[in-house]
Amino acid sequence: MAAILETRDVVIRFGGLVAVNLLNIEVEKGEIISIIGPNGAGKTTAFNLITGVYKPTEGVILFDGERISGKRPDEIAKIGIARTFQNIRLFKSLTVLENVLIATHLNIKSNLFSSVLKTPKARKEEKEMVEYAEFLLKETGLLHLKDEKAENLPYGLQRRLEIARALATKPKILLLDEPAAGMNPKESDDLTEFIKNIRDKFNLTILLIEHHMQLVMSISDRIYVLEYGITIAKGKPQEIQENPAVIKAYLGEENDDLC
Amino acid sequence: MEKKKRNLILSVVSILVLIGFIIWAEECTKAFGVYNQRIFKTCCIYAICALSMNMVNGYTGLFSLGQPGFMAIGAYVTAFLTVTPSDKIAIYKIVPISEGLANLNAPFFIALIIGGLVAAFFAFLIGFPVLSLKGDYLAIATLGFSEIIRIFITNAQGLTNGPTGINRIPNDFMNLYVLCGILALVVIFILSMMKTSYGRALLAIREDEVAAQAMGINLFKHKMLAFIISGFLAGIGGGLLASLVGAIDPNQFKFTVAYDILLMVVLGGQGSVSGCIAGAFIVRIALEKLRFLDEPINFGIFEYPGIGGMRMVVFSILLMLVIIKWRKGIFGNEEFSWDKVFNFFSKFKKAPKKEVEK
Repeated sequence: MAAILETRDVVIRFGGLVAVNLLNIEVEKGEIISIIGPNGAGKTTAFNLITGVYKPTEGVILFDGERISGKRPDEIAKIGIARTFQNIRLFKSLTVLENVLIATHLNIKSNLFSSVLKTPKARKEEKEMVEYAEFLLKETGLLHLKDEKAENLPYGLQRRLEIARALATKPKILLLDEPAAGMNPKESDDLTEFIKNIRDKFNLTILLIEHHMQLVMSISDRIYVLEYGITIAKGKPQEIQENPAVIKAYLGEENDDLC
Repeated sequence: MEKKKRNLILSVVSILVLIGFIIWAEECTKAFGVYNQRIFKTCCIYAICALSMNMVNGYTGLFSLGQPGFMAIGAYVTAFLTVTPSDKIAIYKIVPISEGLANLNAPFFIALIIGGLVAAFFAFLIGFPVLSLKGDYLAIATLGFSEIIRIFITNAQGLTNGPTGINRIPNDFMNLYVLCGILALVVIFILSMMKTSYGRALLAIREDEVAAQAMGINLFKHKMLAFIISGFLAGIGGGLLASLVGAIDPNQFKFTVAYDILLMVVLGGQGSVSGCIAGAFIVRIALEKLRFLDEPINFGIFEYPGIGGMRMVVFSILLMLVIIKWRKGIFGNEEFSWDKVFNFFSKFKKAPKKEVEK
């Protein structure tokens, strides 16, 4: 099966620092792939490369066989790659519903004037946008909070809202940057279920950065391990757990604290 | 639901009262006073300029100070098109105006709209280089462009009559109905625009540019949209100002005008239409009504001699007090609502209630 997302020998340098070196990731449709590695390994940089925040110094990134490296983030979002952020980036002073509505804007067909004049077509489109946003909020269990300001939500729900917002762009691939950060074990178990659930429901392919090993091992189809920008291992969770290089670089040698 | 009904009734009543007041102020010139009428008119015009700045600074979160330039363009275009050809030939003394230009003429409202459109077009041109800048850098660049426009106007004598400016601008339509009507149209346009998906996209850019772009919002396109609308509104404001004052020259559009407008927006609340209007009215009225401080006052025991510029000192102190009390401006970034008024007053009656409603 052809890969839906593929990075080919992607390199990015910031001055003399090689943040990501020869990154080769292949993601097939419907997979859940995790990228793990110690802090500073280049995981988030890899995400920023895929979503167009950074342009690779060398190499290409392909989506559905089409080159996306060099495109702007908003163009890449339109093509079908959505993401969440490591340090939550919601539109804080806007309501939960507005946060999700904004992410449906990229598919808008009405122009500004017909929107302002509320032509029947524009009105219908707005109604559909609201309906879809409310549907997503229902799926993510946030509907009862739709008129609350995003900044007033508890941390766990803010993470969920970020996922709901990303889903509103109707993505094919969802990139989750440490979705379980700061969650207790119960919450991260729920999150595991939730991620699997949305993958099936929205026909998604998911790329995940996570430090939470239990979550990574139970959810991933395959795992990539980065260290200092270099891919030191890749494979199924079982293989990664047994890989001596990974254990040495990431999990620690004897007294590891896994979770 | 009962609250909704109450709010609707209150809104209708207060709009009727407001309309009644406008009619009274316009018709009973003697009772209201020509001077007060004039202040009211200036307030309306500055409110439009404040709303123009709010579009970019308040909603989109950019820091632009280009207003004087766009106002100057609107003012000059409107003035140029409304002054009669024979008056134009009389005004342009140093460098005579060419006959073709002198004969360009348009009715006031068309001239006003053309002024707005030309300002919007210049906003579009300036937007290309400056909108990729962020924060203070954008402010400096727009301020610079605004000065370039002013200096161009000063030197393009054949077109603008240079430093002497244009006078004999007709003010046939400068009554409160027209000014309040245009202000109302602008308010309705902005409020309905901010309810559309495009309005939300601007707010998203203000809240978090990186996230907005990751959600598929084309930053440049939407910033440009806000910038063009802002330029158009500033052009309209400038055109009205030209017509009200009757005479314009480049020095009326110095960069200090940008600070005056910024003051109104910040005082009222960035990102709030109610705030901008309140800010414009408060600043203009306070500046006029504090004039007595410049004059000598006799307190009986001692006589205050009257110090020129004293009103500015008092005005500035009042401003600082207001800003310390309301850090985000009087309205913050929210709109006026009756629920808030009631919450505000219920604070004095009972134990303070938390503001939840919008």
